[in-house]
Amino acid sequence: MPEQAAFSACHPAVIFLYFTLVLLFSMFLMHPVCLLISLFCAVCCLSVLTRGHGLWRSVAWVLPVVAVTALINPLFNHAGITVLCYLPHGNALTGESLVYGLAAGIMLAAVLVWFQCCSRVLRSDQFVYLFGRVIPALSLVLSMALRLIPRFRAQLKAVSEAQQGLGRDVFKGTLRQRLRTAVTVFSVTLTWALENAIETAQSMKSRGYGLPGRTSFSIYRFTRRDRMALAWLLMGGFYVFCASLSGALEFTYYPTLQGAAITPFTVSVYLVYLAVSLTPVFFHWKEAGQWRCLNCAG
Amino acid sequence: MKSHTIIFRRLLAFAMSVLLCAGLLLLLLSGCAGQDTRPVCTCTVSISCQTALDNFDRCKEEKQALLPENGWILQPTEVTCHEGDSAFDVLAQVCREQKIQLESSWTPLYDSAYIEGINNLYEFDVGQGSGWMYQVNGRFPNCACSDYTVQSEDVLCWVYTCDYGEDVGGSAAGD
Repeated sequence: MPEQAAFSACHPAVIFLYFTLVLLFSMFLMHPVCLLISLFCAVCCLSVLTRGHGLWRSVAWVLPVVAVTALINPLFNHAGITVLCYLPHGNALTGESLVYGLAAGIMLAAVLVWFQCCSRVLRSDQFVYLFGRVIPALSLVLSMALRLIPRFRAQLKAVSEAQQGLGRDVFKGTLRQRLRTAVTVFSVTLTWALENAIETAQSMKSRGYGLPGRTSFSIYRFTRRDRMALAWLLMGGFYVFCASLSGALEFTYYPTLQGAAITPFTVSVYLVYLAVSLTPVFFHWKEAGQWRCLNCAG
Repeated sequence: MKSHTIIFRRLLAFAMSVLLCAGLLLLLLSGCAGQDTRPVCTCTVSISCQTALDNFDRCKEEKQALLPENGWILQPTEVTCHEGDSAFDVLAQVCREQKIQLESSWTPLYDSAYIEGINNLYEFDVGQGSGWMYQVNGRFPNCACSDYTVQSEDVLCWVYTCDYGEDVGGSAAGD
């Protein structure tokens, strides 16, 4: 199998449109079915993009996020007709607020997993390619911000290994020594991050980044496949968007849980939403099929 | 084990445990309530949303099904309370006993409670001037319900207004 996921080979515009759609839908469609679809697809896409390596580790940490959100919401929100019990200061603890907390937690988890997918597919050079002309300064800042955490982790690893080589191990010695070493490692990495940001900005400036008339090299070609994918995403996104405007995905949590009735139309909207969100998985299957074909022929 | 992963994992675990501890502490602090030994007294409590029914067309759609047909969320009811209880304490007690939903907020600046909603009927649910007010023996006290100390045989009425109190006879100008 090739190293890169199939979806990464698409034109940056297609990738960007896809992530804009799924992130906006995840954030604004609070219907429970939509939330579950979103979380499910996000995990599926991440498993395709990581090829299953370390999937559990990158998904497991969103579970506490869901739990904490579900527990915190009832402490601050007391609307809903199902009164479970009363908090000591007279406010009601309601079933609806628990359900809403759970829904908000799932939404948060889905968005977090989607961003993990996004950082694996949309490289910073693609981002700068898309927006470098329109909003040069902002796109540079954004691309640097999006890369900050992964690069910070890599550098943290390098620095802590170098410190280990000097005999200062974060996992050896008394608590005080270990704390001291950890602070040193962190401080070194932080300094590196700040310096690196300035260097990048200066380097880009000295090369005339953002000046009018400046050209830049790119290897992205808008192929027939990209045209098809773009049309598919636009059509599917438009369908779901119109459906949500028409109220087919309406769901109120307060004061009672009630949503739009499930009709063939709403089911079709769920299916389209599912299909749009699973686009990278379809790409993966198609490519895997081709690869098998080629191997058989050879 | 890779060292950077462990550092991150520990930081994450630490942040999570801090969050959980803070939440538990909050629950515990608010849960310390002892037995009451003060002498008891009785008063009458009622909760009415008649004005919301009068302005039914202005009421938010999702709330319309919640309004009781006769306008009484709670018919006048005899309640046993403790001497020194505020009107707010009595309301909270009644709601707890009758399983009526109640949401209030505490304003530290005035050190007083404000009733946001009873039985899921909230302020602003029936127009801009709507919300909960309270009456004691037919008059509207000019203080927060948590500042009014209940006397024996008081008649407490919580009424919903849709017009800043004008429609229930308790406007800001009058009594």
